[in-house]
Amino acid sequence: MLKIAVYGKGGIGKSTTVSNLSAALAMRGVKVMQIGCDPKADSTALLRGPEPMKTVLDLVRERKNDFTLEDMVRTGFGGVICCEAGGPSPGTGCAGRGIIAALEKLAERGAFDTYRPDVVFYDVLGDVVCGGFTMPMRPGYAEKVFVVTSGENMSIHAAANIAMAVEGFRGRGYAEFAGLILNRRGVKNEDEKVAELAEDIHSSVIGSLSRSQTVLEAEELGRTVIEAFPESAMAQEYRLLAEAVMRAAGGNV
Amino acid sequence: MIRRLGSVPVKDVRIADAAYPAPFRGGLEFSAPARGTWNIVHTGMLVPEAHEIFVCAQGCLRGVVLTAAEMGASERFSTVAVRENNVTDGDLEDSLIEGVSDILEKLPKKPPAVLVYTSCIHHFMGADLSHIYKTLRARFPEIDFTDCYMNPIMRKSGLTPDQLMRRQLYSLLHGAPKRDKTVLIAGNDFQTDDDGDFVSHLRQYGWEIYEIQRTKTYAEYQTLAGASLCLTNQLAAIPGGELLKSRFGMPHLHLPLSFDYAEIVTHYRTFCDAAGIPYPDFVALTERCEDALDAAKQAIGDAPVEIDYTVTSRPLSLARMLLSHGFRITRVYLDGISGEEWADFEALQKTSPDLCLSPTVDPVMRVRPRETGEMTLAVGQKAAYFTGSDRFVNLVENGGLYGFAAVYGMADLMRDAWQTPKDARSLIQIKGMGCSSCL
Repeated sequence: MLKIAVYGKGGIGKSTTVSNLSAALAMRGVKVMQIGCDPKADSTALLRGPEPMKTVLDLVRERKNDFTLEDMVRTGFGGVICCEAGGPSPGTGCAGRGIIAALEKLAERGAFDTYRPDVVFYDVLGDVVCGGFTMPMRPGYAEKVFVVTSGENMSIHAAANIAMAVEGFRGRGYAEFAGLILNRRGVKNEDEKVAELAEDIHSSVIGSLSRSQTVLEAEELGRTVIEAFPESAMAQEYRLLAEAVMRAAGGNV
Repeated sequence: MIRRLGSVPVKDVRIADAAYPAPFRGGLEFSAPARGTWNIVHTGMLVPEAHEIFVCAQGCLRGVVLTAAEMGASERFSTVAVRENNVTDGDLEDSLIEGVSDILEKLPKKPPAVLVYTSCIHHFMGADLSHIYKTLRARFPEIDFTDCYMNPIMRKSGLTPDQLMRRQLYSLLHGAPKRDKTVLIAGNDFQTDDDGDFVSHLRQYGWEIYEIQRTKTYAEYQTLAGASLCLTNQLAAIPGGELLKSRFGMPHLHLPLSFDYAEIVTHYRTFCDAAGIPYPDFVALTERCEDALDAAKQAIGDAPVEIDYTVTSRPLSLARMLLSHGFRITRVYLDGISGEEWADFEALQKTSPDLCLSPTVDPVMRVRPRETGEMTLAVGQKAAYFTGSDRFVNLVENGGLYGFAAVYGMADLMRDAWQTPKDARSLIQIKGMGCSSCL
């Protein structure tokens, strides 16, 4: 089982990217589980359709301990097992604590032993702002961390922060930094800027995605590009990226 | 509108109308000043020679500091205060590691084991406890560390701090050569009564009783891991029994303390079968109980008897047994009904539907008149407080009674309590009753 955490600045396209990676791998026969670690609970929306699903924290809130592992997940496109950690309402509570509670609950219910996924993606909210956001990096959770970034300065700054956090936890046996994913936004000298970041943090850009209208059209349909436009050039980019992610994480497709 | 609390009647409930397992609504809680029950400081001190370090906000440390001081164990107790800057600076984990290290460096002699109690703030902030303990173990390889919790927010979810504390008592065991004919009675605060029928019966057949209370050094404590059987007799001890089973392959028998002859006999049989020893003379033991109960009934007569849950883990089983022997049980104080008491609860609903259940933590209990209008026997410290009676059984958490001794021992204590009034006020305010080093 390969466990991968994907971080990056808010709005950079992590959930879209991760959902397409999950879909691409699922189409290759890989059993994938995607865990959204964001109070917005929309990480897996493109995989499972528009109907809202109960997040783990919704279940804890409503049913205390009286729910099953099956209640926490929904099967999406290609058999991807979708799960949303959830969290408090915006402006209230502690999102980091929510992630901790949700991941602990999944572990408690034996999610990995039951579903035995080949690949687990943790799609983690924005920056590493507090202890809760390092939870997916801890032993027992993700082994590899990828960061999605564009060439925008704020995105590069966030990526650098995440890389520093991963480096800071190296001695603890946390997840390793496995590379950057460039999600292009059409910024001037974008490839060069992200390559420079990679060099600064002693890593590499393991794959890149073009800025594409196809992604927006698929999102309008509430699907991944892999599902909605499987023959498109963008779908092919996601497939190549999925292979690159697997290679960088030490797995095979 | 401000309403005087004293004017609010306590909503006692007839057992026939009581909901299971929670007969009363939760909310703001009152703690009666009957302080004989143990807390996590007392229980942790059962590990011989171990040092306790509590890591918590200073205000919350007050209670545990006082406990340690009151039991004369301050030299085995230290604290690390958590401050706001530990959160804003992100050094919650480092401050714990450095604080514990500093304490250990400054102690005149390094303890063989340290119980580190983390608190709510570590839970909320997601402190990486694995990293903390790994670091401490690497720094002090000669010391065994274990994780304990002062975390009230976990009180009603998952394992409670009480269950965790009783389990962690055995987490420091390394493993020891197996010894035949040894039983580890695990998870109790009190040593099982040496004069009781259970211990006597086992010893008669060459069995040795292992209990943490019987060990005086850390080396002796380590021999507990070599027991050939593990026995727990209260619910909160089960996780400890399961830990011993999984770590040392020790068969774990959970045979709850009971006041019901049939249940006691069943548990005895289960144990004796597992141990390969004959059964005791159940008829003689039952007669002994009946004699003790007769004597108690003769002394107490029809005086009202009120029982509270701190005296035994089976207050409803006790009430049921006493009612069936003609005692006038008028009230049982409890805040919840444990799974082990379901059958007693159901039976009492039918046989004694008017039996009154009262909460102990309802804030109204703070101002309820503490008298019953007639001379009352209180069984337990909280019952003594709420009835204001000086005729009370001064016992907490079964007090080491088990087997038939639970019945005849309790009957003897009741008779003695009725015949020999005590100064309840001075006795029930002593924290951690029976704790060896108590003031």
